[in-house]
Amino acid sequence: MRAHWGETLMGFVVLAFAGIFLAYALGVTGRSSTGSYEISARFGEAGGIQPGAKVTVSGVKVGAVSSVTIDPKTYMAVIRLSVDESVKLPSDSTAKITSDGLLGGNHITIMPGGAADDLKPGGEVANTQGAVDLFGLIGQVMRPKSDAAPAAASSAAPAPKAATDLPEM
Amino acid sequence: MATPKLEWRGVSKRFGANKVLDGLDLSVAEGRSLALLGRSGQGKSVTIKVALGLMVPEAGSVLLDGVDVTHQRERERRASFAGIGMLFQGAALFDSLPVWENVGFRLINADGVPRAEARARAIEALGLVRLAPEVADLYPSELSGGMQKRVGLARAIAGQPSLLFFDEPTTGLDPITAGAINELIRDKVTSLGCTAVSITHDLHSARTIADDVAMLDAGRIVWQGSASELDHADHPLVRAFVTGNPAGVE
Amino acid sequence: MPHSAPGGVIGWVNALGRAVLDGVAAVGRVGHFAARGVAAAVTPPWYPRQILGQFMAVGFLSLPVVGLTAWFTGAALALNIYSGGDRFNAETVMPQIVALGITRELGPVLAALMLAGRVASAMASEIGAMRATEQVDAMFTLSTEPRRYLIAPRLIAATVSLPLLTLLADLIGVAGGMQVSKLLIDLPYSIYITNTVDFITRWDVESGLIKSAVFGFIIGLMGCYHGDTAKGGARGVGRATTSAMVSSAVLILAADYLISSIFARL
Ligand SMILES: Nc1ncnc2c1ncn2[C@@H]1O[C@H](COP(=O)(O)OP(=O)(O)O)[C@@H](O)[C@H]1O
Ligand SMILES: [Mg+2]
Repeated sequence: MRAHWGETLMGFVVLAFAGIFLAYALGVTGRSSTGSYEISARFGEAGGIQPGAKVTVSGVKVGAVSSVTIDPKTYMAVIRLSVDESVKLPSDSTAKITSDGLLGGNHITIMPGGAADDLKPGGEVANTQGAVDLFGLIGQVMRPKSDAAPAAASSAAPAPKAATDLPEM
Repeated sequence: MATPKLEWRGVSKRFGANKVLDGLDLSVAEGRSLALLGRSGQGKSVTIKVALGLMVPEAGSVLLDGVDVTHQRERERRASFAGIGMLFQGAALFDSLPVWENVGFRLINADGVPRAEARARAIEALGLVRLAPEVADLYPSELSGGMQKRVGLARAIAGQPSLLFFDEPTTGLDPITAGAINELIRDKVTSLGCTAVSITHDLHSARTIADDVAMLDAGRIVWQGSASELDHADHPLVRAFVTGNPAGVE
Repeated sequence: MPHSAPGGVIGWVNALGRAVLDGVAAVGRVGHFAARGVAAAVTPPWYPRQILGQFMAVGFLSLPVVGLTAWFTGAALALNIYSGGDRFNAETVMPQIVALGITRELGPVLAALMLAGRVASAMASEIGAMRATEQVDAMFTLSTEPRRYLIAPRLIAATVSLPLLTLLADLIGVAGGMQVSKLLIDLPYSIYITNTVDFITRWDVESGLIKSAVFGFIIGLMGCYHGDTAKGGARGVGRATTSAMVSSAVLILAADYLISSIFARL
């Protein structure tokens, strides 16, 4: 085989790059990233939030959701948030799952509290507000009785009419 | 009569409408050297390729040591080929391998000879065709046509074969080298007892290397005799070859 | 041919019939060639130097082109999810879509198409030139089966190399997507990787690797077949090179659909 030094070198460069990336990826899975710290929050309703979803304070992105798990004892959703180091959150802050729009995904909004001490890395946000079931809510507003007393549907004649008045979505 | 070393029996070969061999009969006795003469494009190379199993004839058969090898399968044919050496008209060197690996190809790949030993034997074979050991590490594309031909010759004789085919071994060589090659072929037959079939256009070569001469024309052997009979042959084509005068040949 | 109206239909039927027969015959020839190639690849004697050399030519020397292709594919995929997928907030699942797209489909297919261009054509021209200059015949006379010395090593190297290259393409494609996610939505590398690893399953990667082994075999087979059947000197070799490239690319895409639909049913 005659020499193709350039190509051989390029081959090693590509292998090295892939190797470094693999090592980095293996290193990352399991430990938190640099330049940020992790806190967790428990929600009664995670509303389909995904790892990678934004975490905002006053509408500005300060981090991302790193994992969503379930607490097998309490059946609460445990969401871990990776927050930028430079953003210190007071310990009585509130985390809230907010919808981005009717069709959109969700993100987490943190409303800072007023306490003097900050949340430590690994700490937990005490106050949370879970996802709102938007369609359930709409349904309740439109047909307040049909949910509460399905047997009395016949006596609540105006309700279905109101529902049919809704513009189609 | 003893079984010939190699025999063509009624061999016919065509390419589409081009009928090249038409019931060719020919045989070579063990330890003899046959020169195959004929004009260009008459099927001399095809004759040899049919014998080697590189082309399958439509009719007829080829017998090696009395055994029909025309339609042999891979394993049997590998065994039949073990004692055969072939120099191709265009040398047919492996251009991805250096010269010494070309020459030692059979030793390395078929005989399982260690590479270092194969190299030594290849350089020895190169010496026989008057090529310097430095040539061993060059690639075929770095050689002249005549040098390639000699490397091809070295490759053909490297495995100590008992049956040798040479397709125009001296074409394109200077007279001195050609003379040396002719002597080498002659020597393989007389001192080592090899059987040889050589294609040549050169009557001087034919007289040096061959015991017997056959003239191929229009797909058949039209004249056959010993090398010494060439000058007295009365076949018009042979006469034209001897005199170099095309008169009398259509 | 304005006057061929009555015979026209029959002519058409004849031509169609001939085309179908030719097609069937070609499939038969390729199948026969493939079967003999595989038989040579799985039985001794083997030529380790040739196999190693082909791994170098097919696998190692394809690293740069496969690596670059994968990087840009991962990056472009992420970019498109960002700009087209924001209609339904797909950017939050950018790592997942990139990983899925790369491992199951784009990694295997694009690596294979790159090799169809780089390797199948090189094999066809190399073997075709060896045929044209009687090197293949010469090998026969030196008691060495060209099928074992030339074809088998190429089939082996292509079939084994491509899954390895695809694994590399998976890695580098994810890296490309990761870089773009960082630039566009400031998604930290660590989260990108965590999301990818959490989401992707063994089967996502394995199904891609199984596909790519098939693609690799197709590449080796088409390269060798077209080279071995090349006729008519340099022009024939040129034609064989093009045929090897085009036929392996088309077969790769067809096989991709076929295998994907089989996997979808599992
Ligand atoms: N592989 C082939 N395919 C088609 N025709 C061939 C092939 N090999 C040889 N021929 C034809 O056979 C004839 C004899 O060729 P060849 O044996 O090479 O002649 P020569 O006697 O000069 O060696 C020529 O007409 C040539 O065109
Ligand atoms: Mg010839």
